[in-house]
Amino acid sequence: MATVQVSEAEKVYILHGVRDDLRVDGRGCEDYRHMEIETDVVSNTDGSAKVSLGHTDVLVGVKAEIGKPRPMVPHEGYLEFFVDCSANATPEFEGRGGDELGVELSNTLYKVFNNRSSIDLKSLCISPGEHCWVLYVDVLLLQCDGNLFDAISVAIKAALFNTKIPKVHLSENEEGGKEIELSDDPYDCMRLNVENVPCIVTLCKVGYRHVVDATLQEKACSVASLIISVTHKGTITCVRKVGGGSLDPESIFETTETGKRVGKALHAPLMELLQKEENLGKKRPKVGFLG
Amino acid sequence: MLKSKTFVKKTRSGGIMKIVREHYLRDDIWCGSEFCTECKQDESVLQKDACIESNLCVFPHYLLPDTNVVLSQIDILEDPLIKNVIILQTVLQEVRHRSAPIYKRLKDILHDKEKHFYTFTNEHHSDLSYVVETYIEREPGESANDRNDRAIRVSTKWYSDHLKNARTEEGLRIVLLTNDRENKDKSEEAGLLTYRCEEYIKSLIANPELVDRLALTNDDKNDITSSKVLFPEHLPLSRIQSGIKSGTFLQGTFRASRDNYLEATVFVHGEGDESTEVLIQGLQNLNRAVHQDLVAVEMLPQNQWVGPSSVVLQDEGPKDDDVTGDDEEEKLKGAVVGAGPRKPTARVVGIIKRNWRPFCGMLFLSQIKEATRHLFTPADRRIPRIRIETRQASTLAGQRIMVAIDGWPKHSRYPNGHFVRSLGCAGDKETETEVLLLEHDVPHQDFSQAVLSFLPKMPWSITEEDMAVREDLRHLTVCSVDPPGCTDIDDALHCRDLPNGNQEVGVHIADVSHFIRPGNALDQEAASRGTTVYLTGRRIDMVPELLSSNLCSLRCNVERLAFSCIWEINEKAEIIKTRFAKSVINSKASLTYAEAQMRIDDTSMNDDITKSLRGLNRLAKILKRQRIEKGALTLSSPEVRFHIDSETHDPIDLQTKELKDTNSMVEEFMLLANISVAQKIYEEFSECALLRKHPAPPPSNYDILNKAAKSKNLVIHTDSAKALADSLDAARVDNFPYFNTLLRILATRCMMQAVYFCSGMDSDFHHYGLASPIYTHFTSPIRRYSDIIVHRLLAVAIGADSTYPDLMDKHKQSALCNNLNYRHKMAQYAQRASVAFHTQLFFKSRGIMNEEGFILFVRKNAIIILIPKFGLEGTVFFENKNKPSPKLVFNDEATTLTVEGHTFNMFDKVKVTISLDASNIQHQKIRMSLVEPVIPGVSVAPSEPNEPEAKKAKLDH
Repeated sequence: MATVQVSEAEKVYILHGVRDDLRVDGRGCEDYRHMEIETDVVSNTDGSAKVSLGHTDVLVGVKAEIGKPRPMVPHEGYLEFFVDCSANATPEFEGRGGDELGVELSNTLYKVFNNRSSIDLKSLCISPGEHCWVLYVDVLLLQCDGNLFDAISVAIKAALFNTKIPKVHLSENEEGGKEIELSDDPYDCMRLNVENVPCIVTLCKVGYRHVVDATLQEKACSVASLIISVTHKGTITCVRKVGGGSLDPESIFETTETGKRVGKALHAPLMELLQKEENLGKKRPKVGFLG
Repeated sequence: MLKSKTFVKKTRSGGIMKIVREHYLRDDIWCGSEFCTECKQDESVLQKDACIESNLCVFPHYLLPDTNVVLSQIDILEDPLIKNVIILQTVLQEVRHRSAPIYKRLKDILHDKEKHFYTFTNEHHSDLSYVVETYIEREPGESANDRNDRAIRVSTKWYSDHLKNARTEEGLRIVLLTNDRENKDKSEEAGLLTYRCEEYIKSLIANPELVDRLALTNDDKNDITSSKVLFPEHLPLSRIQSGIKSGTFLQGTFRASRDNYLEATVFVHGEGDESTEVLIQGLQNLNRAVHQDLVAVEMLPQNQWVGPSSVVLQDEGPKDDDVTGDDEEEKLKGAVVGAGPRKPTARVVGIIKRNWRPFCGMLFLSQIKEATRHLFTPADRRIPRIRIETRQASTLAGQRIMVAIDGWPKHSRYPNGHFVRSLGCAGDKETETEVLLLEHDVPHQDFSQAVLSFLPKMPWSITEEDMAVREDLRHLTVCSVDPPGCTDIDDALHCRDLPNGNQEVGVHIADVSHFIRPGNALDQEAASRGTTVYLTGRRIDMVPELLSSNLCSLRCNVERLAFSCIWEINEKAEIIKTRFAKSVINSKASLTYAEAQMRIDDTSMNDDITKSLRGLNRLAKILKRQRIEKGALTLSSPEVRFHIDSETHDPIDLQTKELKDTNSMVEEFMLLANISVAQKIYEEFSECALLRKHPAPPPSNYDILNKAAKSKNLVIHTDSAKALADSLDAARVDNFPYFNTLLRILATRCMMQAVYFCSGMDSDFHHYGLASPIYTHFTSPIRRYSDIIVHRLLAVAIGADSTYPDLMDKHKQSALCNNLNYRHKMAQYAQRASVAFHTQLFFKSRGIMNEEGFILFVRKNAIIILIPKFGLEGTVFFENKNKPSPKLVFNDEATTLTVEGHTFNMFDKVKVTISLDASNIQHQKIRMSLVEPVIPGVSVAPSEPNEPEAKKAKLDH
């Protein structure tokens, strides 16, 4: 991941600040940076969202395609994730530089989102055992300025909210052969219930405390961080530790509690915002990539 | 301004795809009206004086038809009376989507300057400052059709408002024509002037006959027909498709029987070669399918299978709908008994695609005097009669007319149609020629402006650039040899001695591909026509006359562009070297075959041209011998030439074509050029060379030939072309010199059709008739499109021209080959029909004649006779409807027919009288009756000639 060089003196300065709940950019330990969200930014996709968090910029597109259900779960559709660490985001991603990070990110995303408690996978089924919708979630990192997980998770939630899957129905003939028929009306489409889709909160251990939404400098002062996915009810669905350092059990407990609190608080304004945008309909001025 | 259009579509592999297209709106799309002062158009199409006299609209008005009006009433729109019509892009696109032929006709109207039809690109139009857009987006819950109807209304509204600013006192209005009730209501609500098409056409004061050309719409059909349901309902397309997928139904082309109107076959396209034919019998099972429709059929259980009936049944004319059905079925059942082996039988359950076109034929007047509904009898017997409504029946009687089918409701015995146009008096030469062109689907309209625009500008001359890239062969003694009166000379030859003792022979072909560039309208038109069609006394050109008879014609003493194939040939006529070049030639003489022959024979002539001809002739003879040794066939088919009266264009004499040495001289070098080119293009483009093949016929084809030979105690070997050629040569009977020709005529009938194909799609290249492993057509680009493609391929191969994607696409090539093969076949049929018609004219003027002929075939109840003098074939029937039949014994093995004790063998010499049977004016035919040998009760007395007067009187009915 993108790193910055931080001198010893700077480290001390940051550490002391965090200790006193005052971060370099003036935030408290549980504060996010300024976040901007816009949905329906890529017309080629079935759902898309662009999220910028500080200078971190993420674009998520969702494409729905018809596929075959997995044999173990014939009544469910599924999601596929791909994270593209574009060299635009940071020079370190040049060549194959971003591959490792991309795989790590997408593995986490599978764990967090591709399960029936986050999304009603049954609603993606068209005919059991034969056809289901596969949602290809493509994440494109446009700019890296720390805290990718949180930004990506918010963007995914927004993109899934925005996703419109064309309605299809199965027609059957006497012989039992099935045929997928597409609705003639382009407005006739299915929406996903994203109520239970979790958001990820990354907590970085800096000194003896932990901070939400760490900048690259803060990250450089930290040896380990905890990735926690939280639903709108405050249920933790997934916890992962990243980074080389160790965490003592007591602080893990403390950290998850913070994560729960912060995550829960994140959902309500997000949903409110998405709903508001949706209601604007065609009148919404599009910002796109120029904003 | 940029907008985007988004839609979802199902891909062929079953996936669902979201597609986003950019859609630009522009403010420089003008309204096209002469009234308008705001629009900055260069040229306005819609006139100020837009008056069609109408009861409903007494003010000047522009018509704006919706899609369904265009689709159903295109015949009306084509009428010269209808002018000043606005065709919206929405309408144009929908028409294009729904019917390609109607789209083409609409485009032709739009190009016609006289018609004042204007295309308004409403989907891309946005008024200045983007205040009003005629582009609308589909709204939630709105169907695609509703959206288009709305788009039409919005544009009509825009036009009304827009022109309101421009005019006031003239009172110009826009009239929306729609047959859709909902659309009409909605547009009237919006304050637009709206009429139903019928309503409007009926209001036209000046031209009441236009009403006849109205197609019947659903509302009207009910009045015409009784309520009794005669046919089973057709299944909806979705059911048909799922049925075909599951295998319950089969899909195929419907082919009505020529002889029996209650019978048809459906040609089921299987996978690969597994195509089969199933039989359909009875009105109910035929279920309103018309010849050439794409239908879905359901197989009947095996115990209901029947054999094809061998009787000839013709629909005898109008019946009331109520009484039809049962008794007709009875008639068929009666006929079926005793018929041949049972065949798979099916019934039609639905129509996948109608293949209706306007049909030529004649009106069959209703017996009721004042009736306006009449039955129309198409010239093609496979097409059912069509009911039309007309008020000018008495004028149309005796004329050839065209009628289009509008629909076939399930309670009507006959399809409903409408009158399209009159072709002229039946029996007239022009009319009949028109009929045979239409019936054989030969495109023969004048070339459109778009096509003509791609012609070179006159005066044309060879430019410096042309000279720079071409070889200058103007100094060579090139000459052309063609039939007399030929104006499209596409080949010329030269021959000269080389210093090393060998000879240089050049075949120079008109460089048509220089003028016809790939993809333009001229090219597309030529590709669609495929070939020039030569009828007796008329030629339907593939390319405009400027090219065919002037710029591409290699006339003498003018400089012409050519594509040359030049060989170095030694004494034994072996090719030492071949090269191809684009060149410039200057032909020294345009000779006829006879003139060339005279020069060769006249020993006193020793100029360059004659020497060149003698050299060519000598080599040609060697080439021909070599070719025949390899097993090339010389077949024969009687070809007829008419001597046409220069004033009346009536045929005054008939003679079979005569072949001279020089004919075969030219032919020999053309074959050589074609083979050389075929090798070259195949070498260069093994996947996409356009070649011509002639498959070997299956052995069973030769049955008739074998039987015929056996009757004269001869054996014909048919295992190879060489064996066939040799045994044909050996087959001679003393005192019967014409026997060999007759045998060759029979052999010709055993052959397969030669076809064009793309080398990447086939592995068998052999040309059976010419005994060449590879062959193509290179030498007549003026009259064959295949040659143009070959020219382009060759030009690419020698680096003289650049290629283009379609040329290298084997699937596109293959599709092109299919069209060319179809056009060639139809052109041949049209040619034969034209000869037959002129033969009839000739006999009509000659009255009854007595001629000698030979028996070509022996059938169960008839003998088929060839009259060598006229190359005419006719049938002598021994069964007669009104008289008791004579005693007939048919021997299938020996193919003999014994009539009242006299046995007819194949090739017997007989004497017949020839007369014209005009009892059925649509299907006049030559009738032959036996004169010699005299069989009492069967043969007739030789009639006295010179009674054409009496004949004529009979014809003029």
